[in-house]
Amino acid sequence: MMVNMKRLLLTFSLLAFAILAFGQAKKPIIMVVPSDQYCISRGYKMEFNNQGLKQVLPDYKTALQTDPDLRLVVTKMGQIMADRGFPLKDLEQELKNLEQERAESSMLTSSSSGSEMAESPIDALKRVAKADIIMDLDFEVKRQGPQKYIVFNLKGLDAYTAKQVSGVAGAGSPSTSASPELLLEEAVLSHMDNFNAGLMRHFEDMFAKGREVKVQIKVWANWGENLESEFGSDGKELSSIIEDWFADNCVEGRFNLSDATENFMKFEQVRIPMMRTDDKGRQRAVDTRSFVSDLRKYLNGMGIPSKLYMRGLGEAWLILGEK
Amino acid sequence: MSIAVTVLAVVMVLPANAQTRKERKILWNSQYNYEIEPVGVGQDGTKVFKVWGYGKDVGAAVMNAKEAAVAACIFKGLPGGGGSAPTPPICSQPNAEQIHADYFEKFFEVGGKYLQYIAVTNDADPSGEDRIKMKKGFKVAIYVQVMYDALRKQLEADGIARRLDSGF
Repeated sequence: MMVNMKRLLLTFSLLAFAILAFGQAKKPIIMVVPSDQYCISRGYKMEFNNQGLKQVLPDYKTALQTDPDLRLVVTKMGQIMADRGFPLKDLEQELKNLEQERAESSMLTSSSSGSEMAESPIDALKRVAKADIIMDLDFEVKRQGPQKYIVFNLKGLDAYTAKQVSGVAGAGSPSTSASPELLLEEAVLSHMDNFNAGLMRHFEDMFAKGREVKVQIKVWANWGENLESEFGSDGKELSSIIEDWFADNCVEGRFNLSDATENFMKFEQVRIPMMRTDDKGRQRAVDTRSFVSDLRKYLNGMGIPSKLYMRGLGEAWLILGEK
Repeated sequence: MSIAVTVLAVVMVLPANAQTRKERKILWNSQYNYEIEPVGVGQDGTKVFKVWGYGKDVGAAVMNAKEAAVAACIFKGLPGGGGSAPTPPICSQPNAEQIHADYFEKFFEVGGKYLQYIAVTNDADPSGEDRIKMKKGFKVAIYVQVMYDALRKQLEADGIARRLDSGF
């Protein structure tokens, strides 16, 4: 009996250790978004006059409220992705939530002093539907004489690097008897395994070589120094100091400084580790913010204060000069 | 002189012919030699296609075809056609059949678990163009519906295939 209890305790403590020691990497949020072409060609659009220039933007809300074919495809894709362990963020629901949040934020006041919530213009601007991977969807029911067929086009886009991480496209077989709804369902069923295989390759690459992200270094206008200023005992230019830090901290030193001036540095294809060990010895998931936060601390040690601005899981800006 | 040329020609041709026959035999027994013809898009989580099998009699050839149907889904993937897009293999890892040899030996044994994922759409013995009498045995084709998603989930649960969300 005692031996059994000891074994049980040992098993539980090992399990607890495993949970603490091996965390999980940050899971990307995936969302299906109808393509601009789909929305605009069907009249789901908003037109603006931007300083004399006509600008056309897709109206997702109208598209999702009025297009039953789109809803059918989104639901089917959502069902398949949830089955694969990736429940999709629903664009329609997200738009409703944001509207509700906007209304509540403007009305909410503190009960003791009647104070409003602090909100900067940038906070308000950030209240938009976001995802880490966008499933850019486009389809069309085409006719050839009495026959109907579906042309289907689905792209998996990384929201930060703008790279296509997966994609499927093709035309289904023509049919005279099947309804367009049935053909659409067939198109989704037919293409999703291939799409997910592309996504799987992207994730495997991510776990092998690190998450690919984008980092920008900028400078506040009132700082008085810039990226060409010299720091440290050996009088090294700040841009070189930052570049060296990336070389030391990226997975296998992989990054690409794609553009730079004395006021900004644009790092692309930056491979950051998926996990790292924190001060308490725990494995923690890394996102761009936490990765760039280490650079912020490093520069702070050299007397360079900075503000870290997050643009999602895969992009962050570090603005030098002050908080 | 002409005799020497003839002998040389025979010596050069004979091994080539012999190798072709040998190769053909290897292909019969090879797990990569799946002959598949897609026939349409399957219902949710399933794949439908026509698959060929070899055997001493029709029954054995049908069983071989069933085995090939499941093996194709796991190792080779399915070609596109008949309105369906190509389907990738469940095990994307190279040489998965060798790495997990013990597992697959048990999985594909006679009456093994692989049969659980097959729903045969034509129950009767194949006839007509789907039943070819060969010198030794038969080559037959059957229409199958493979429970692709259920098969994938089983292999993921057994640690043979990688889950899409593993690591997250």
